[in-house]
Amino acid sequence: MCRKPNTPVQEECLYCQAPLKGAGFIAPAEPAAEGSQVPPSEEPGEEAPPAQSDLFSSLEDAVPDWLKETEASFLESPAPEAEGPTSEQLSDQIDALINQPLTSSEGQGPAIDDDWLASLLAEAGLNEPSIEDLGTAQDQGGIELEPTGTSQDEPGEEPPIAPEQVQKPDWVSHLEAGSTIKLEGGMPPGEPPDRGLQVSETTGQEGPGEVEIPDWVGKPGPEADTPSAPETEKPLAPADLPGWLEALKPSEDLSPSEPVEDLTTAEVVKAGPLMGLRGVLSAHPSAIRARKPPTYSIKLRVTDEQHARVEMMEELLANEQKPKPLPSKPIISSRNITRLVVALVLILPVIWAIFTGSQRVPLPQPNIIPGVVNCTQSVQRLPVGASVLLAFDYEAGFSGEMNLAVSTAISQLLMKNAFMTLVTTTSSGAALAESLMNASLSTAGIPEGTSAYTNLGYIPGGTLGLLGLATSPRAVLPYSLDGDNVWAAAPLNTISGVADFSAVLLITHDPDIARSWIEQVGPLLQEAGTPLLLITSAQAEPLVRPYYEAVPAQVQGMVPGLAGGLAYGQTTGGSPQNGTWDAFSAGVTASVLVILAGAITGVVVKMIKAKNKKES
Amino acid sequence: MKKILPVANAIVAVVSGLLVLLGYFFPGVFGGLQSMLIGWAIILAAFALLLGIFNLGMVHWKKIGKDGSGSIYSIVLLISLAVTIVLAGLNGPTGTLSLWIFNTFQVPVEISLLAILAVVLVYAAARLVLRRPSWYTILFLVTVVVVLLGSVPLFFLGEVAVLTSVRGWLAQVPAVAGARGLLLGVALGTVATGLRILMGVDRAYDG
Repeated sequence: MCRKPNTPVQEECLYCQAPLKGAGFIAPAEPAAEGSQVPPSEEPGEEAPPAQSDLFSSLEDAVPDWLKETEASFLESPAPEAEGPTSEQLSDQIDALINQPLTSSEGQGPAIDDDWLASLLAEAGLNEPSIEDLGTAQDQGGIELEPTGTSQDEPGEEPPIAPEQVQKPDWVSHLEAGSTIKLEGGMPPGEPPDRGLQVSETTGQEGPGEVEIPDWVGKPGPEADTPSAPETEKPLAPADLPGWLEALKPSEDLSPSEPVEDLTTAEVVKAGPLMGLRGVLSAHPSAIRARKPPTYSIKLRVTDEQHARVEMMEELLANEQKPKPLPSKPIISSRNITRLVVALVLILPVIWAIFTGSQRVPLPQPNIIPGVVNCTQSVQRLPVGASVLLAFDYEAGFSGEMNLAVSTAISQLLMKNAFMTLVTTTSSGAALAESLMNASLSTAGIPEGTSAYTNLGYIPGGTLGLLGLATSPRAVLPYSLDGDNVWAAAPLNTISGVADFSAVLLITHDPDIARSWIEQVGPLLQEAGTPLLLITSAQAEPLVRPYYEAVPAQVQGMVPGLAGGLAYGQTTGGSPQNGTWDAFSAGVTASVLVILAGAITGVVVKMIKAKNKKES
Repeated sequence: MKKILPVANAIVAVVSGLLVLLGYFFPGVFGGLQSMLIGWAIILAAFALLLGIFNLGMVHWKKIGKDGSGSIYSIVLLISLAVTIVLAGLNGPTGTLSLWIFNTFQVPVEISLLAILAVVLVYAAARLVLRRPSWYTILFLVTVVVVLLGSVPLFFLGEVAVLTSVRGWLAQVPAVAGARGLLLGVALGTVATGLRILMGVDRAYDG
């Protein structure tokens, strides 16, 4: 239509996408004059009868340009040999598409019912040819309208034209047929239509009674040829397009892409509203195959390397939770050797002093150690046969320090023929008291089993027990460890409370126990004037001394540590120390020497390190 | 029940504490009640001691069942406990066998532990300057040395009067002052704790 050259194999124009083949436009092999289809055998350029030249030119002017171009393009493009449906089939298709039912009144109606063509003819001053005229014109050798595929009628024979058949010019019929065929897809591509419709030009003789067809319809005039020839040679000048339209113009370099989907192999719908179409979804339920959706494996695709890395990570995480065994420390190390040396330095002098029974070190004097003299005097002031309460509230580990003072006190009480009542608030106090009493009795030459003491045992409850002992000792300790009711017989039958004792002697290593006794039992003793005496360890002396030095004093006598015990022993007649004080002195001296040596060594090492650090 | 039990426990604790406290101030009125309550508390304390011994046995029994490290010590403990209970129950707490166990095992073990403690303390004091070099460390070591030297006459040097007097001053002035401060703090803390229990604020018995 655009009259631009295209290759023979093209099915559509590259420029205007007009169908070149199989679209109903049966282009002749040679370019033909516009407005008519010229058979190839005919030579172009034949002149029209001079009688109708003027008419032809006027008619030609009335024909729109696009129509001229359409005709020219079809005349230009060579038509390859048709391979496809036969001419009969094609003509049948065309007939089936273009035949329209006509009423009887229109039986002899105008052959051409297109308004625009009628208007053209009206302008030309021609009567609308009727069907009969058209048939007559055919008989007279006018424009022969041979439908595609139809057999050639014998010349001279005029097939009866039914009123419902519309006789239209060939090129009109070709236009209509091609458009309908293209829409229906009835004609496969690549199948050039047969050039069934041949327009054979007659000599122009018109028989009588025949329809007078204007020459411009059937014959290409020389004026039409001549303009077409240069037109085919000279492409049309491009129109001046506006800028926005120019921008929308597709690039000519782009070649049309092939259809996405090749519908040639698609099935043709044979029923339903989409009948005749290809490549559509069938509305038949059988087209949708209900099938089980495909199952996809959820297993990850893991390569061997990834698997190895995963295993490594899992092993690392598992090892994090496992406790790592600590590296075994060597038995022989500088630290252990140093400890052994220190221990030997401390132990050896002590052992030597004990084994040799050394008494080189002077014993401590009682007047130097506060509380020892008062304690001795308090015991000395006790009446003969007095009831004394002894509380053994110290651990067995302090026996070496405190047993000397306790033994001296027990010896002094035995000398006073005092009746000792033993109690304790610690779990091991009863056994400790019993053991010490037996040792003291054996030392004093008093046989065991004598009624010199009674052991009431353990008082539970800590401070509460002391309060109970202070208020009602009979209720707290009704029986002795032997199971005897000592409160019913002398001398305890006169004891109703702790204040009824002649003296209370507390033996403890813990300052808290001493404080509990002083706080719970002390007020009742102070009211009764009963002395509270204390034998403590050297570690508790600083915390107990305030009670002794208070005014009024809450503790009437105090014997602190080993030195106090030795001093107390001297006041009562001096018990042999058996190298204890010398061993203690040797041990303290060795300890001081070790501490000094360690401190000096530490200072020297630090100084050397600091010096090296400064130098570096 | 969950709401009633804590309230009931608090009421019992507060009332008992108030009665015992009032017994100190009004012994004629609340003395008997105080003694009764104290007697009950002593019985409960004795029973708690038995419960602690039973729990100790159960813990070590379970430890033996787990068959881990240290289970041999649990076995020794349980055997010792059983033997002591049997012998003391048969012979009495002050019987010959009981005293033999006490004098043969408990006393030497406890004395040995304290002796080791003395060696460890001397070793730690000797390394103190190396581990924590500071002026306070040196002051501490000087004090330790002076007190040790002043507490006993030196083996080859005898008694040094200066050291003895310095040690006496240290024991009676700074040490006693510090001890008095500690005792005051303990007393104030005890009072505060007692008031909290009497007011029901501190409920350690709820568990």
